[in-house]
Amino acid sequence: MNNLIRNIIYQGKNTLRDYGFSFWSVIYPLILAMFFNIAFSGMMNMELENIDVGILDGNPIEQVLEEIEFINIHKIHEGQKIEKLDSEEIHGFIDEDLNLIVKKSGVNETIIKEIIEQIKQMQKLNRPFENYDFEADYIVDRNQMASSIIVVFYSLIAMFSTYGVSAGIATVSLIQANLSNIGARISITPLKKKNFLFAGILVSLFLNLAANGLLLLFVKYILKIDLLKNIKYSIILIIIGNLFGVSLGMFIGASNKKSMNTKILIGVASTLFLSFLSGMMGPWMKVVIDEHIPILARINPISIISNNLYRINLLQSNKTLGEGIVFLSIYCLLLIFSSYIFLRRKSYDSL
Amino acid sequence: MVVEVKKLVKRYDELIALDHFNMKVEEGEIIGLLGPNGCGKTTAINCILSLLNFDKGEIKVFGEKMTPNSYDIKRKIGLVPQEVSVFENLTVYENIDYFCGLYVEDKFTRKEYVKEAIDFVDLKDYTKFYPKKLSGGLKRRLNIACGIAHKPKLIFLDEPTVAVDAQSRNFILDGIKKLNSEGSTIIYTTHYLEEAERLCNRIIIMDKGRSLVSGTNEELKAMISTSEKIVVGFTEIEEKIVQKMKSIPHVMDIEKIGEDYIIKFENGFNNLANLMEFVEKNQLVYTKLHSQLPTLNDVFLELTGKELRD
Repeated sequence: MNNLIRNIIYQGKNTLRDYGFSFWSVIYPLILAMFFNIAFSGMMNMELENIDVGILDGNPIEQVLEEIEFINIHKIHEGQKIEKLDSEEIHGFIDEDLNLIVKKSGVNETIIKEIIEQIKQMQKLNRPFENYDFEADYIVDRNQMASSIIVVFYSLIAMFSTYGVSAGIATVSLIQANLSNIGARISITPLKKKNFLFAGILVSLFLNLAANGLLLLFVKYILKIDLLKNIKYSIILIIIGNLFGVSLGMFIGASNKKSMNTKILIGVASTLFLSFLSGMMGPWMKVVIDEHIPILARINPISIISNNLYRINLLQSNKTLGEGIVFLSIYCLLLIFSSYIFLRRKSYDSL
Repeated sequence: MVVEVKKLVKRYDELIALDHFNMKVEEGEIIGLLGPNGCGKTTAINCILSLLNFDKGEIKVFGEKMTPNSYDIKRKIGLVPQEVSVFENLTVYENIDYFCGLYVEDKFTRKEYVKEAIDFVDLKDYTKFYPKKLSGGLKRRLNIACGIAHKPKLIFLDEPTVAVDAQSRNFILDGIKKLNSEGSTIIYTTHYLEEAERLCNRIIIMDKGRSLVSGTNEELKAMISTSEKIVVGFTEIEEKIVQKMKSIPHVMDIEKIGEDYIIKFENGFNNLANLMEFVEKNQLVYTKLHSQLPTLNDVFLELTGKELRD
């Protein structure tokens, strides 16, 4: 136990004082968040509200609209529609032939229009509505700039939650005699490898979580963007994202004999690529993925984290949270198990 | 027997790094593994320490078979690797404390040991320095302190003086002698023959993965036919006189290097007196004259046909 604590303290000091860690895990996320904020300044409307839609009682579209969490349905009489639109109690009125009546042009009205278009297409294709994810579409709606930018921020948080990848790589390199000089030195001491690794994982998780916390505080109090409304589930997602990052780092670190810099590059490139697919560089990519390879969006760990962060915080929906956590947990287990296979060797053919 | 290695074979694909290598180390010895770069010294150490797999042979440390899980044996061992292997982001004190703590759990004992190690390598003024701020020599000292702070019974030092200045080298060699006098058995690899001569009780000369000979400095020199070399420079000398010199008792060979002649004698006495007699008799005028006793390089040369530093 004493050895574990000492390892945690010294590995913690070693990582914390590393300029690479300080920059890539602490400073870089803040710079990127600030850059995004400046780039998209004025385009965000964080007070996203549900959209009020008026329909006649008995309109069959009611069943479809009920499935969309951000739509508030108002059942009204034929004669009330103009009055409700004038008073802005509803953003739009949909009749039985799926015609839309709006009073003005705006983001919410555009979203209703797009939803109707989607429903019409589904009808034409004779596809069941329950297979369609309206929330996902809502997220990537190119006319809904506010939500698009929020996607970018959630992707950013998702990406940095996996930045434990570097610490994971470093921890593995430090214990493998064939990967580093220190690894060789430690391997001839009575310290058991698993103790060093366990300490390394705890340190990596703790420090990266702290860096994530700093980023969230920066975004909330300096940039004044309140991203996390459901703290509990958000923290669970971020923690498991961190565990995924560290596991990925361990796997990259253990699975090959490339240099430390090359491995870090592989780690960063992997997370960056997954973030790109999840829409961090622009929501259009997510549209492409959703349309052509929807399974990729479902299994991409960064997409899982960013989409669920979006859903639980802005749509108050945790519909896919369980599935996402299961997927991420499976990834972590697979990566840790694979790393263990590589790491269990204690003597090497060459150093 | 502290270390016993029998017929150790280690291959890297087609290359044979260790070819039936043998070694025995008794308690209290400073044994030197002497050989050129790439002769298998470090590979031998890594095999003994169970860092490297090997193809054939047997290794026993403190009388037991050494495996990666021999934690009790590992507690008695210290390693000073060839490369400086310390945490770049921990201070001198923290590095020594970290490595010492892997062996010594008691906080107060460890504190004392760390202090002693710092004194031993004379890094008192640098305890709060990070390794990157230290000179090459000071880094080497830190590397040594990390390997010896826990007072191991057996210490492996793998070329600890490579790329250090003369002052630091002397400091390190004196320190190693002190460690030995305090009871540690030392296995020291080097390609510097002067270090091996100065430091080691017994030397194993290695080449191409084999242990060629083993013995004390004197024993090794006695193994070769050349017992003495006399270097002499003449103002002028005819070739026939040079050939005549070979008739001097015990002369084995005469080699001309530049303006000088190196006259090699096999075992025998009065070599210098015999040479002087020859010089006077032939009315030769010499500009320099000195005698050299055989070195380990001569031993290596005679055994392998090449210089140790080739």
